[in-house]
Amino acid sequence: MTVFSFSIEPYGENGWIATLSKSDMVERALTVNAAADALRDRPGVTDAVAGVESIVLRFRPSEVTAEAAKTMLNDALQTAKAHSARSEAVIEIPVCYGGEYGPDFEMLCEKLGISGEELISFHSAKTYRVLTVGFAPGFAYLGPLPDELQTQRLATPRAHVPAGSVGVAGAMTGVYALASPGGWPLIGRTPKCLFDAGTDEPFLFSSGATVRFTPIDEPTYTALKAERS
Amino acid sequence: MTAIAEILKPGLMTTIQDLGRPGLRHQGVPLSGAADPVSFALANAAIGNKATAAGLECTLKGPSLRFKASGSFALGGADMKAHLNGNALQLYTPYDAQADDELVLGAAQTGARGYIVFQGGLQGDDFLGSASTYLPAKLGGINGRMLAAGDTLISAGMRPAARRDIPTTLCPVIAHDFFLRALPGPESAQLGATELARFFSCGWTAGRRADRMGLQLEGAQLKVLDAPPMASSPVFPGTVQCPAAGEPFLLLYDAQTVGGYPRIAQVIAADLPLTGQIRPGDRIWFQEVSADAACEIAAQKASFYGDLLPFGFFR
Repeated sequence: MTVFSFSIEPYGENGWIATLSKSDMVERALTVNAAADALRDRPGVTDAVAGVESIVLRFRPSEVTAEAAKTMLNDALQTAKAHSARSEAVIEIPVCYGGEYGPDFEMLCEKLGISGEELISFHSAKTYRVLTVGFAPGFAYLGPLPDELQTQRLATPRAHVPAGSVGVAGAMTGVYALASPGGWPLIGRTPKCLFDAGTDEPFLFSSGATVRFTPIDEPTYTALKAERS
Repeated sequence: MTAIAEILKPGLMTTIQDLGRPGLRHQGVPLSGAADPVSFALANAAIGNKATAAGLECTLKGPSLRFKASGSFALGGADMKAHLNGNALQLYTPYDAQADDELVLGAAQTGARGYIVFQGGLQGDDFLGSASTYLPAKLGGINGRMLAAGDTLISAGMRPAARRDIPTTLCPVIAHDFFLRALPGPESAQLGATELARFFSCGWTAGRRADRMGLQLEGAQLKVLDAPPMASSPVFPGTVQCPAAGEPFLLLYDAQTVGGYPRIAQVIAADLPLTGQIRPGDRIWFQEVSADAACEIAAQKASFYGDLLPFGFFR
């Protein structure tokens, strides 16, 4: 059993925050996100949101006392650690690396001292877990990223990052489900539809999911994109 | 698909908003919605709309529009000196317009956001159950953008309810000074006791970097203690973050769902709607209150407005 510890602190008059320490990054992220999923539909809860190592539970003080909410959060974290491995089905994400789809691809190869082939093979050789979803609608943080690919965010974020863009930053790789501003260096783009407005779960990625990136060439990207429309 | 009006001049930044997308932050979806939801909801009540009806949010300077059919509307929020065919209008009062009538709004002298709501509500692109415009990802509203000259406003055709009389005593009064009650945030220890006391005692000025996502606070440079970089962690409207450079900023309704800067304070839920009326140059004071006091203030405000505002408004 993994050992982690946390303390619960207030976040405003209607919220509690817990930040996990110890254990590894993936374990922390999956635990706080599993706890958030378990808490979301409880009576009096207005938001249960997790980051990569912290969770905030917000509640209506008129319906739940602060003490009861704190107990709820503590219990959810204690039980979440037991079943944090939820989804074993692998979501395949085809990615066209470099070129116009990965505008920072060459810069990164140079900075990391690796070839384009190496970058693609490091990024696509392993499976990742979706650590959390946040920042922008449907934006998925995945990890852990191989050490060879770890880099910093761009000094100046882009005002417009196209939907499907795949970026890397720190120990994580991220996928933009929708077009938005963003500061992660971009290495490629997927033609796969990551958002379907007509469903209850409109975003393809949810925390805990297992993902593998598959390299594709540009004609395949164009063909898959055309299939969607 | 009933056309209500055509935009002649769009104003500085006019968007379609409703009460936003609560409870979706775990999917990265910000709250959005009217930046001053109290004024917006009171205007909707005045015209007999449901609380979920969408209307126009006008920023600093309002639009001009020409009605394409007869219809009713009401105004709220910042007073933008609205005129209908040259006649001055009051806030929170229902008016009837005929086809070809012109509604002209000017610039607000106090407050940042004025609202125009139409009986039946406005239609906008639906994204996860709300028509609210979220400009950074181009969602909701009219193609996710601010209104432009030539745009047509379409009625949502919602069934009207009884119009509510809004007593003058309940109409928000907007000035250039804002007193926001707040609790110390999860990383307030990174300021140290002296600097945290300074945050709560010095007056702040709203900077020019102000949009629906956040507001730069100017006037002092807070000393932030060295700490390892934070992992992305949830943030909310009303959170005050302070980067290492020491200039804090206040997050508003379009704020992203996670952030990486120390969260030094959290504005209480009952005072959050005031933040939507802060304009560059306005003065802001943060007053520290206890969690119990914050809940008490929320309960008082909720009972003050009674059923004019939807249930759970000051959560």
